[in-house]
Amino acid sequence: MPKASQHPRVAGGSDTPRRTVTTSADELVLLIDGATNYAIYMLDPEGRVTIWNRGAERIKGWTEAEIVGHHFSRSYPAEEIAAGKPAADLARAHAEGRVEEESWRVRKDGSEFLANITITALYDDDGKLRGFGKVVRDITEQKSAERALAGRERHLASILATVPDAMIVIEEHGRISSFSAAAEKLFGYAEAEVLGENVAMLMPRADRDTHDGYLATYRATGERHVIGSTRIAVGLRRNGETFPMELAVGETSSGGQRIFTGFIRDLSERRLTEQRLHELQSELIHIYRLSAMGTMASTLAHELNQPLTAIANYLETTRDMLADARTPELEMIREALDMAAGQSLRAGDIVRRLREFVAHGEVGRASEKLDTLVHEAASLGLIGAHEAGVRVIMSLDPEPHQVLVDRVQVEQVLVNLIRNALQAMQDCPTRELTITTARESAGCVQVTVTDTGMGIAADMSDRLFQAFATTKEDGLGLGLSICRTIIEAHGGRIWATPAPGGGTSFHFTLVRADPENADAG
Amino acid sequence: MPAEHLVHLVDDEEAIRLSAGFLLRTNGYVVKSYVSGVAFLADADRETRGCVLLDIRMPELDGLEVQRRLSERGIEMPVIMLTGHGDVALAVRAIKAGAVEFLEKPFQKAALLAAIEEAFRRVDDADRIHLDAAEAVIRLAALTPREGDVLQGIVQGQPNKITAYELGISIRTVEAHRAALMVKLHARSLSEVLRIAFAAGLGERG
Repeated sequence: MPKASQHPRVAGGSDTPRRTVTTSADELVLLIDGATNYAIYMLDPEGRVTIWNRGAERIKGWTEAEIVGHHFSRSYPAEEIAAGKPAADLARAHAEGRVEEESWRVRKDGSEFLANITITALYDDDGKLRGFGKVVRDITEQKSAERALAGRERHLASILATVPDAMIVIEEHGRISSFSAAAEKLFGYAEAEVLGENVAMLMPRADRDTHDGYLATYRATGERHVIGSTRIAVGLRRNGETFPMELAVGETSSGGQRIFTGFIRDLSERRLTEQRLHELQSELIHIYRLSAMGTMASTLAHELNQPLTAIANYLETTRDMLADARTPELEMIREALDMAAGQSLRAGDIVRRLREFVAHGEVGRASEKLDTLVHEAASLGLIGAHEAGVRVIMSLDPEPHQVLVDRVQVEQVLVNLIRNALQAMQDCPTRELTITTARESAGCVQVTVTDTGMGIAADMSDRLFQAFATTKEDGLGLGLSICRTIIEAHGGRIWATPAPGGGTSFHFTLVRADPENADAG
Repeated sequence: MPAEHLVHLVDDEEAIRLSAGFLLRTNGYVVKSYVSGVAFLADADRETRGCVLLDIRMPELDGLEVQRRLSERGIEMPVIMLTGHGDVALAVRAIKAGAVEFLEKPFQKAALLAAIEEAFRRVDDADRIHLDAAEAVIRLAALTPREGDVLQGIVQGQPNKITAYELGISIRTVEAHRAALMVKLHARSLSEVLRIAFAAGLGERG
């Protein structure tokens, strides 16, 4: 316990050599009075005020003249006085030497304030209690500021906790100092597993050195790479999966150290959504074009039919005017006119079928020769095949088959399969296309188109026809799902198998026409 | 009888009027051309003789409307409907309304002439209509019940898929029956089927 001399010493004071009495006392008074933020006063052993500084006047309200000689308990709240706290505090200070606490005190005007109070027991050289030194600081504002700050911190923490973006804090060498719950979920690590590790562990191997390089550059030159801006990067999850991410990095300093806070957003879903949107837009444009084409085709058909009719009328009439052609020349003319008339009527036929096909109208099914169908489709589908060095093998069933089909639609399917096959073989050393027909049980025939291309993965063969399943309208028979629609509408099946020796075979079945009706229509 | 060989050609398309006119004249018919249904109706009255070639799709007044007004006014000229569009529903309506034939463009010369001949035969021979009816009934008797059902569907202008649904059979089967009944009725076109059916009284249910 500090020893007092003639002049009271504040607890903890060093042992300085005594000065002349007057000078040091005046200086001390000046010093103590100068501390206006602190109420510094002294009590006698019974608790009566003996010394009272300016600060005490300011903080507590009583002047020196008003309080000196009075008991210090005046500044306690009433209920504490009743409970005997003032005396208890002094007793404690006497026992322990020093008491420090935060407590409520009352001013002269009755208002209360929160105070930081230190009571120090003072002893003279003989060890006898001289009195108590008290230092009181009004901490009401400070306390409320602290509370507000704590409140704001809690609020901030709660906001950060709910931010869906992952938040990672690193120090200037890249070591992770904070890893939010969202970050744990995003990357698959618990915070404990990554604290202290270099943040580069969350990047693909290729990017790690680059990141360290950026940090070093920034430390050295202040040149920013990603700080303060948002960019797209690639993240690496614990399970080895990489994903696209959006990264925003901010810089701050904490305790003289630079720290970087990164907010990360997983873009995988956004990317998927964008892709899907893109796909849908393309499909929509495609459908729009097709339906516009459908309308156009319909109008075109109608328009074309008029001149075709006129042509047919003139040709047939003039042909018949030469019915008794007497000379070989006239006979030739008559024949030529007949041919021309036939062609114009055929043109009308094509136009009609096209219109029916595009308009999804009631397309007629008739009994058709399978071989004719195959050859017609092949002649269209194989355009350019010879030039591309493709060997074509037609292995048709020797037994002639009649199938009940819409010729245009089924030919369309076949043309599509042939074109696909040619495309599949484009860059292959061996280019061979085989078309076969064969009788199948249950009154069907099977048509197969085989290529020697790259082939399709076995688990893709189901999705093959579904990949385009969202394309709802067809018009010109594009896409495998359209082929499936046509074949299934005809009561058949369509499927793909890997061909022996690489390549793929596409098969579809058609219903054989009931022999009774073979000559119908 | 020149008057009986008069053909009224109503089509808004000039190329059709000229070429069909040429065709018919070189085959002995007298042809009067009209640019529209309105123009034709302005000229036609109960005294008018001959048959009418009507294009269905014309501006202002379409062929079916002209046909309706003709029968409204009691003008009994036989009508042959022409169209650039193949439309089953339209065909049924035209034939039901009494058209002799329904031809799709471009048509064969022989088909057109056959239709016109048939039209004039009707004018000449009212009895023939009864014969036609009797013959039609006989032919219809050769159909199986299912074929009869399918014929009903055609007469009602139904698309095959509706008929299939109603009969609880597949579209393929409907088409097979359709092909079969055409053979049995000796009909080479949809409109022939319809005429035979109507002649037998098929379309006139309540």
